[in-house]
This record gives sequence, structure tokens and C-alpha cells, in this order.
Amino acid sequence: MERHLILEDGTVFSGQGFGAPATTFGEIIFDTAMSGYQETITNPIYDGQMIVFAMPVVGADGIHAEAYESTTPKIRGVIVHDLAEVSTNRQRRMNLDRFLQHHNIPGLYEVDTRKLIRHLRETGPQKATIVDVVDDHAVDQLVATVLTNKQVQNTATPKAYANPGRGFHIIVIDFGLKHGILRVLGDYDANVTVLPFTTTVDEVLTLDPDGIILSTGPGNPKDLPDEVSTLVRVLQTKVPLLGLGLGHELLALANGAGVKALPAEYHGMNHPIQEIISQSIFYARQGRGYVIDEESLDSKKLFVTHRDLVDGSIQGIRLRNYPAFSVQFFPDGAPGPLEANGIFADFFETVADYVQKNS
Amino acid sequence: MANKVVLDSDSMQRALTRITYEILERNKGGQNLILVGIKTRGEYLAHRIADRLEQLEQVQIPVMAIDVTNYRDDHLDSHDDLGLDSAEKLNIANQNIVLVDDVLFTGRTTRAALDALIQIGRPQAIALAVLVDRGHRELPIRADFVGKNIPTAQNEKIKVKVKEFDGEDSVEIEH
Amino acid sequence: MYKKIVEKPIENILFIGGGETDFGLQGESDAAIYQVLPILNSLGYTTSVIDDNPYSLAIESPATTGFLRPLTVENVKAVLAEQNIDAVLPTFGGTRALRLWDQVLAEWRPENGPVPTSLGLKPSQLHQVNDGRLLFDRIIDAGLNVTASAVVKNQEEASELLREMELPLVVRAHQPIQTTTRQIIDRLDDFDQVVSQVMGQSLTHEVSIAKAINGLKEISVLVLRDRDGNCLKVGSSEDMDPIGIHSADSLSVAPVLTVSDQVLQQMRAQSFLIANLLGLQGVLHVQFAFNEKTGDIYVIKVSPYLDQLTNRMAVMTGYPVMLVAAQLAVGKLLTEVVLPNAFHAKTAIMEPVMDHIVVKLPVFSFGDMEATGTQVSRQLNSVQKSVGSALGFGRTFVEAMEKAIRSAHFNNRSFAPKYMADVSDDELIQQLIHPQDNRVLLLIEALRRGYEVDELAELTNIDEFYFYQLKRLLAIELSVDQQPGDAEALKMAKKSGLSDGLLARFWRTDFQSIRQLARANDIIPTYKALEPSAGEFPEHARQFFATFEEENESNPVCDRSVVIIGPGAFRMGDGASAGYMTSVTLSELHRLKYKTIIMNNNAADPTLLPHLSDKQYLEPLETSDVMSVIDRENPHAVLVPGNRKKLIAALEDLGQNVIVFPKEKHHPAGPEFSQSEFVLNLFYDGKDKFPLIIFQHQPGQIRLLDQEINPNFLAGLDLQSPGLYQVIWRVDINQWVSQVDLPNLSIDTWLRPMPYGHIAYLTKVLKMPLGRMVVRAWIGQLNAADRQLLAEVNTNPNFERLALMASATDYALHWKPDHWVDTTRFEMGARIAPYADEEG
Repeated sequence: MERHLILEDGTVFSGQGFGAPATTFGEIIFDTAMSGYQETITNPIYDGQMIVFAMPVVGADGIHAEAYESTTPKIRGVIVHDLAEVSTNRQRRMNLDRFLQHHNIPGLYEVDTRKLIRHLRETGPQKATIVDVVDDHAVDQLVATVLTNKQVQNTATPKAYANPGRGFHIIVIDFGLKHGILRVLGDYDANVTVLPFTTTVDEVLTLDPDGIILSTGPGNPKDLPDEVSTLVRVLQTKVPLLGLGLGHELLALANGAGVKALPAEYHGMNHPIQEIISQSIFYARQGRGYVIDEESLDSKKLFVTHRDLVDGSIQGIRLRNYPAFSVQFFPDGAPGPLEANGIFADFFETVADYVQKNS
Repeated sequence: MANKVVLDSDSMQRALTRITYEILERNKGGQNLILVGIKTRGEYLAHRIADRLEQLEQVQIPVMAIDVTNYRDDHLDSHDDLGLDSAEKLNIANQNIVLVDDVLFTGRTTRAALDALIQIGRPQAIALAVLVDRGHRELPIRADFVGKNIPTAQNEKIKVKVKEFDGEDSVEIEH
Repeated sequence: MYKKIVEKPIENILFIGGGETDFGLQGESDAAIYQVLPILNSLGYTTSVIDDNPYSLAIESPATTGFLRPLTVENVKAVLAEQNIDAVLPTFGGTRALRLWDQVLAEWRPENGPVPTSLGLKPSQLHQVNDGRLLFDRIIDAGLNVTASAVVKNQEEASELLREMELPLVVRAHQPIQTTTRQIIDRLDDFDQVVSQVMGQSLTHEVSIAKAINGLKEISVLVLRDRDGNCLKVGSSEDMDPIGIHSADSLSVAPVLTVSDQVLQQMRAQSFLIANLLGLQGVLHVQFAFNEKTGDIYVIKVSPYLDQLTNRMAVMTGYPVMLVAAQLAVGKLLTEVVLPNAFHAKTAIMEPVMDHIVVKLPVFSFGDMEATGTQVSRQLNSVQKSVGSALGFGRTFVEAMEKAIRSAHFNNRSFAPKYMADVSDDELIQQLIHPQDNRVLLLIEALRRGYEVDELAELTNIDEFYFYQLKRLLAIELSVDQQPGDAEALKMAKKSGLSDGLLARFWRTDFQSIRQLARANDIIPTYKALEPSAGEFPEHARQFFATFEEENESNPVCDRSVVIIGPGAFRMGDGASAGYMTSVTLSELHRLKYKTIIMNNNAADPTLLPHLSDKQYLEPLETSDVMSVIDRENPHAVLVPGNRKKLIAALEDLGQNVIVFPKEKHHPAGPEFSQSEFVLNLFYDGKDKFPLIIFQHQPGQIRLLDQEINPNFLAGLDLQSPGLYQVIWRVDINQWVSQVDLPNLSIDTWLRPMPYGHIAYLTKVLKMPLGRMVVRAWIGQLNAADRQLLAEVNTNPNFERLALMASATDYALHWKPDHWVDTTRFEMGARIAPYADEEG
């Protein structure tokens, strides 16, 4: 059935509906990666957003149990050029169409996605809605809709839980954790405790962690309560700390740096990232709407450790006086290259060092 | 004789990177810092750390090399050669020295290097950075910066290779 | 102090060319070398190129010193000395060049002077690459799988396993006492002995035996690496057919569609690992097998040099792979690579992403040989059968596949629904299991006859995704068939890549009326830019392909543009030289300040190189595709190869200014063994005829005659348009001569346009730009100096004694013909060979 995508600036794109026949509102962005649609769709960082895939054929690999980045996708719409039909028998129990139906998420295919992306790269992300009929009512609804800024509250765990292992005790503070991080911690046999972001310093330290991870998550870091900054500021002086994605932005904020919205978000895995200290380059999945504001960075407190060589943006920082560091990109891949996995190896070496020196 | 690679080129690079960050954590901004590499491979490692410091802080940290092969207390040779290339002698008085070596084992090499350094001046402080700490110390010496702790048996051999000298970067254990 | 090893910077680089065309070797090496010469010049290097391929474009490049010489150790050494070469780049010439360079190094003597630097691969690595076993041992040592293998504990288990496996087998000690214990068994007789021997080398007394991996998915990954070990993935593609069918003979698609991100990332990581293991600087192609059921990945082939995928990826992604690879080879880092202004400033360091689908379809030329009464084996297996390939670009798989089919076949006759109806059900099953060259047609036919997707996927080991796609195509055909003249059906058909010609066939009308119906309903192509950022950045793209969507990105170049219709896929005959001639034409028109627009779909020849034309349309070359581009561009003229009669007529009907590029359909003709064919070559500028030179053609070889031609001989010859021509006659002579009596022009001779290959050959041996002159003549720009040069050849010939030899293509291996094949008549390629003049 023909359905439509209306953008806040009045532009309309038409296509065929798939997934759920729902009408939704969200912030529309585009993704240039050629693989990993399932991981992307289920990544909690996309809470409240609609994604246009530049990859023209989406769905050919079905939906797999091992490719979930969260159990419940929080995305508001999926726009593709061509939806691949695959059967749902044997090893593929689920396909993209049924998956989106199940989670009440609308999809749109047969859209001129290249035109849409070329449009969005000029306008930046904007509000959008997927509807059956384009009329004044639909447009009014879109204009009137205020998108939530409570995405972290919406996706992060409200309760602590454990993912036990026999290695170092790693506490993950959850801002909208993607499973990839837990998968990697599992590879290190870490003894993981996931805590809600509302946890207090005492609660964390009572658990006697060997290291702390500030997780990835959706939205604007400045929308989080001030207590988060305080928490980070204390924890960074106590044990080795690694910030990822939103966690990276939070580490920056806690240390006096500013964070600003990008004119056009970047979601993909093809930008080179340079590790400044070694000058080597690698590629990693990025999904960012915000970056650290270069001007605001206090170089007496922080180093810049990584940069995106395409737009020059800061991709990694490190505290001068404490073993705390963070990266904007996703070193766990899922989807995406595995080259940046070494960030976790560094973290665990740092943790081992810390444990040895303090035992 | 089977060799087992315990650090590949990538992990070795990362270990040096981490040591560099830790040195900076300890020596604010790298002021009054001198790196002293223990020949042969420690010298190359010291230069790599200096390169990293330069990339990060745009500062040039002096590097010198020290040869202690004839200076260890378990050698019979006399102690008249300090092991330092005279052209490379720097004023180390009141400087923060980081000694750099590839492997920390019994501690005798480190001790020889300390002896040599103290004979040429009085530094503010001396710290020790090693790529690999393999245990079995015979002297009360401890590294301040360790790339990787590799527990070994007494009879095993650790072989560090550096690209500049050996053509590749790796750390292997010979059984 | 810290001593960085400072080597003397290199200045003079020698490229070793790829040599003659053969199965799996089209013009890719030559195209790549040709492309990178100017950029190396601009970086301050002096270059030389040695090749024995008379159709080489690179050795004619003004940016280099070219040597047309046989590819031998002596000749390479001679050029090294003559040109004062200090570095050799063999990786651009593929495996032949690598072997030759390895051999030169092995035979290097102190008196030859200092050994030139090997660029791209160090000599020790080069040796490993040439000895595949050494390379694979290192890959296994690094922990990667090379083939599925089973571990057995005793002879009985081993013999049991032998029943399921085909020779040759790889036998290795499990947990070896020493590191190298790998043995290949080629003969059954050796089996027991080798197994027991290898068992003795195992700590656990176990042996691992490699299994055949037929039936698995095949994926290709292309990566780049710089001297510091920074790696970049250019792209990957998957084969529709499983392992067991040669990759070149399978339909393949990029980007990879049916494999998960996790698996692709592992393949990427393994490719980087291998690149670092080799320490290469430049390009690496790794072929993987993937077992979907177990998740196992196997490395099946490692090619750390330029091959067809390199050029194809460059065209498919818009990422200038060769320009980057050459700079990495001379020591630049990825972050230091310099690209021409036409590229986005960050193109070199961004991994290309595609927002389009490209399907590669193999082209088989069995029919050409069968038409002469020679039977060949059409069955596809692990030995390559295809001679070339064509690409189809689209935004869906179906659209890309339809366009690939139309590109590979020029016409759609064989794809009309009734064509396969004659195949019996038994034959159908047979061919599903033992595929032939009509693979895609057969799969569609099976679906048409009601086979289930599950069933077919199991029979063929082809991913279900493809059958669902083929079903879509079938449904579209059906709805088109049932709704003649319906605009919606037309729109759907056009979106799926169908041509006006095929629709006309369905609706039993002519293609003009289809075209009119489409225009009346505003169904016109929207051209999408092909660029490596998938729309992320504004680009100055010059590559386009047609779709039927909302936004068109291609604006007309200008009023002084010329559209050139490319030769399409490589085929037998003058395939090897068609790319050469088209490229020379593009280059000359550009020099004469025309804006050039090329339409083509073959990535292996140089015609699609970005710097050769102002704009490239990656399209099929059927009439409807060409007309759509002409509607868009409104060119000053259209240049069409002479064998495209229907297209020429259609364009002339539309009032286009058509320039015909003389070319004949391939005829397997030539002198018999007891005969010589004499060929008088001449240039006609539209007014005067210039006799150039006579050559003698005996089976397999052509030599030049040092004989002045009486210009009056040609007086009676009637020529229509400017160009290069040949007057031919046969004489019963089976030895080489230095003079021949001219025949009676009107009785004993016939006339033909000079084949492209002869233009390329004569250009080189006569040292005059015949191809360029003919282009000048077409557009009335032949100058006085040209005419003087043309007039002088006949009276004062000065040519190199280099014979043109047809390649000794091994048809017996590839096609299994039922009798001996004369490769002069079925030319895959050619080389040159020096000869001495006959005495007396």
C-alpha cells in the first residue's frame, strides 16, 4: 500500500508501506553503512529516530538471533529503496517485514532514498512522520509534535543486573547500552554488573569495581540530570574508566568541555579515525549527532586521542591525571569493523595494572 | 624449538601507547623529562615513546642510549666504561629520567643502568618503563610502567623483536 | 642518536606489463598502468613500461617510455640498464609479471649492479606469493582456515574419509612437532604412505585432511595497505553460484547482500591480517568460502596484486583503487595520497560505500566456435570458461541483473519467455545440478515450471534470496505480458531494467511505439551519480547510471559533446583491441577540445577510466539505453562501432549526427596452412588514399614487407568515409617473403576496415599515431603534418621487425573442443615477437 514520509520542511516522499501500518513521528537521519541493518535498527541509540538506509537493498539476510543489539527496537521508522523478500523457514525464522510488524514500527520502500539523503545532508536531521495520507491534518500533527528528550530514561535499564564472569569486576553504567559491549566484556570473561544511570557514587564504589564503563546511549548528553556529571567526576578518580558514545560525551561534560549538535549527523562506518599518538588510522562504526566542542576543551585536563580525518571531529579523549578515557565511535562493532576492539584490550590492561598496583 | 607469539605488532604498539600515556600522567606535560633507552632494543622503544610524546604534546623529549652489556655485576669486565656514548651525554641533573628496557627479568640490567646514570649526574627521579615484565626478580627493583606482564618459567626465554632492528615487532616465548 | 634507515629515494620506476590477453586476463593490467602513469609523473617519478602486448595503451602513453618487447629476463634486465631504473613495480602486471620479476631477481648477478627496489611486495614475500604453498602455510600459522579439514587418528579413519574426497588432498600433522608438515597428495597410490608419515610428525599422532569445499558461498574482498600497516577495505562482492564453479563464470553482485555484518567483518579482519602478514604496499584480493550452516570461513585464494576485481571495484564504487595503490606502492601513506581535483578531497581515505547494486555477468563465446562446427563443453566447473564480463548497474538486484544481461548480450532475444521452452524436464534437472552458460535463464525457467524456492536452493546451493528475486522478475514479465500497452506495467518493467526492445517483443509492436508510450507517460530515466560516499557529500561525479526514480542528477555536458558507444564486454576476435581503439578515440577527441561522453559496461578495459572522458554512462548499449542518453545530452555527434547496424539505423532515423567507427562482426577467417594472406594497409582521409605498408599473414603470425607500393594501384578503389582500410589477397606461399607482386585490384582482392588490433600493432611498429589520425580525419582535422607523415611511410618505411603473433590460448583446457583450434581465427589476444628478415 502506498504510504508517505512527510518532513518538517514540507518535503514529501512516497513509497510502499511494510512492517507495521502505524503512524509514527521521529527525527529522520541517514545511514551509509552497507551491512548490519538488524544491529542498527535494534541499537538503542536510535531511540526516537527514523533511519534512511543508503544501502539500496535491505533485508536480504533476514533477522538473526545473534544480531540483536537490544531486545526491543526503539526506532520510529525504516526507509529503504528496495526491501528484499526472504523466507521465514529453517534458519531464518524472522524477516525484516515481520520483525517490524511485531514491534509496531512502520517501514517504507520504493523510496528514492538517494534523493532523500541528498536532501537531508543539506537540511540536517529533522522531524518527520510516516502516514497513509498526506493532508493538512498530517502536517499539523507533525508540526505540533514535540519529540521527547527522555530517550535515555526510555531505553536504559531502571534496575541493576549482573552478567557474571570470572575475570575483572566491570561496572557498566547504562545509558542505553548496546549488546555489543556486553558481548566483548564476555570475551574477556569480565564479571559484569550493569547499573542504572541514576546510581550514586556510593552504590558504585560499594560494589568494589575494577573498572567502569560509561555506556553508549541515545540523545543529547545535556538532557541528562547534573547528577550524572557529578557521578562521572568522582568515579574517574577512583578506578580506570572507559566512556563509549554517549558515555564519551558525558566524560567530556564532566571535565568542563562542551558538547554541540552536528549540522548533519554521521551514521556509518567508512570514515577514517586517526589515533593521534601513533598516527595510525582505522575504521569503526560511528553514530553521532553530537561532538565535543573543540574550543571548550581544557588541554590541561584532557588530551585529544582520536580524530575523524574526514571532518576533523574529536573521536577520543583521555584525562591527563587519571586512567580514564573515552571514544565517540563504537569499538565493539556490531555492526562495523573490529579494528577498534583494541580499545577494550587497552582498558583491560589498564584495569589489570590498576588491580596489581592496588593489591 | 617452538616459539609462541605473546604480543603481536598491534598489541606491542598499544602497549607502548599505554606506557606513554602513563608517563604523561606521572610527569605533567613531560617537563624535565629524559628518556634513557637501554641498548639495544630499549633504545628503539625509547625513541618510539618519544615519537608518541611528540605527536601528542608537540614536545621533543631528549632520548639517550645506554649500553650496559659490560657493566652488569655478573660480568667479570671492569667498570671503567660507563656505557654511555659520550656524544650523547646530556645534563641529567635535576631531570626526571625514565629508563626504558624491553624485558624486566632479574633486575640486574636495570641496576647496572642505575649505577651508570648516577655516576654522570644527580637526576631528580628515575623511573623504569619496560615492555615486558616476566618476573623472577633477584633484586628489589620494580617497574613503574609495564607494557605487559608475562608470567614465565625460569628456563623460558623471552624474545622481543623491534621493527627497526629485527625487521618486525613481536614478543615471543621460546620453550 | 636515533638512526632511521634512510634509503636513497627512488626516481625511475619500471612497470612490468600483464602481457597478452587470455582466459582471466583482459586488459586490466594495461588499463591500470595507463591510468597511474600521469600521477606518478606529477609526483616526480620517471616511468618505463615493458610489455609484449601489441594492444597495450600504456606503452603508447606520453607519460612514459614504452618498450614493446617480449617479456623475458634478458629484456627486463636490458631495460633496467638502459633506463637507469632503481625500482620495479611488478604487482600491476599480475601473476605473470610477479613471476618474471622473481626470476630476474633470482638471476641477478653482482655485475648487474645494485638490485632495484621491489615495489608493492618485498622480494621474500614475492617468492612466497609465487609459491602458493609457502603463502598458505603462513596463513594457517596465523590461525586462519584455508579449507575445511577433518582430523583422523588412524589409517582406517583416513581411508574412510578418502571415499568422500577428491584429489588432490592436503594432509597436515595435527599439533605438529615441527612447523612445516604439509603434504599434497596428487595420486591415490601415495595416500597411505603419506598419511602414516605425517602421523609420525604429530605430537598427538593425528592427521588433518583437507576436504573439498564445493557448495559453499564465495565472497571476494578487496583491501589496500600502506607501508605503516594502515588498511582500507575497498569493497566486497559475492558470487551467486557456489564454490565449484569458477568465480569468473558466476553471476556476482556487489555489495554483498546475503551475508551478515558479523561474517563480513571477520572476512575484513582476516584480509587485513593477510595484508599485514605479507607487508604489502598496495592492493590485495582475498577470496573466501563461507559455510552458512557452521559459520566457518575459509581463505581460498590470496592475490596481492592487481587483478580483474581491482578494476571492477574501481568502476563499481567510484573509488580510484589503482591511483591509490600505485602511490602506496611507492611508499606514500593512505593519508598522504594525492588525487586529481575531480575527486572529493577525502576520497582516498574514506572507505567507499555504494548506494547502488552492481551485477557482473560472465560472457561466453561458445557460439562463435560452435558456428564453425567445433563442439565444446559448455559445462561450468572450476576451470574458467567465460572470456569476458559485463556489468549492470541499478538500485535493485533485479534492475542491475536485467541490465547486466542486456549488457552481456547486446540483445534480449534469448531472454524472451519462450526461448527455454524446448528444454525437457530431465534436461532441466541435469542442468540445475551441472550448470551451463545459460545459468540464469535456466533458473528462471525452473521457477516458471513451478519448482519451489526451497527445492531449488537445495539443488543448486544458491541462496534463496536470488530465487525470490528471479520470481519477482518472472512476476513482472507475466504482468507485462498480460497488460499490453498499459502505462503502469511499462513503468514497472522499466524500473526493473527491461529494455524497450524486449517490451516491444512482449507486446508485438516496435520499439518506437514503446518509446512514445513511455514519453507520453513521463516514464524517463533519472540518472544517478555513481560516487563513493553514497550521497553523504556533494560530489562532482562524472559517472552515472539510469534508474527510474524521482531525482535526476545528470545534466548535459555542453553542445560540443560527442557520445562514444563503447565496445561492451570482451569477446573473442578483436575484443582485446576494441578497448584500445575506443580509448585512443576518447583521448584524441579530448585533445581536440571535444567533451566526450562514453557509454560502456566493461570494467576490464581502459574505456571507463575517469580521466579518459568527461562523463561516463555505465549502461547497457541497446538502442533504448543509447537513445535515452542522447535525449539527455543532445550531443554534437555519436560515434558508433560499425557492427551495430540496427543502432546506427535507429540513430540516423532520429536525425543524429552518426559517425561510424569501422568495425566488422567477428569472422573466424584467415589463410589456410599452405597459404599466405597479403594485406595492403591504407589510410583514406576522405580525399586521398595513402598506401602505408604491406604485411604477410600466415596462420598464427603477421610480418611486415619492406616494399614500396605504387600509389596508382589504389586509384580504382572506391571508399565511402575516411578511415584505415585493408586490401587483401591470398597467394599459395608458405614461407616468409620480402616482396610480393601486387594483384589485380578489382578481381583478386577484397576490402575491409582495418581491424582495431592491426591499428594498435601498426601504430607501434610504424611509430605513427594511426588511431589518432583516423579520429582527426573523421572530424576533418587531419593536418598537413599528418598528411606528410602518411605520405612518407610508403616511400621510406622505418619499422621494427616485430611479428604480430596470435596468443596460444589453451582452448583444450578451458573449452575441451572436439578438435584442434586455430587460435588465429579465435583470437583471445596477441603478442609480438622479433624476427630477422628473410635472406634474398
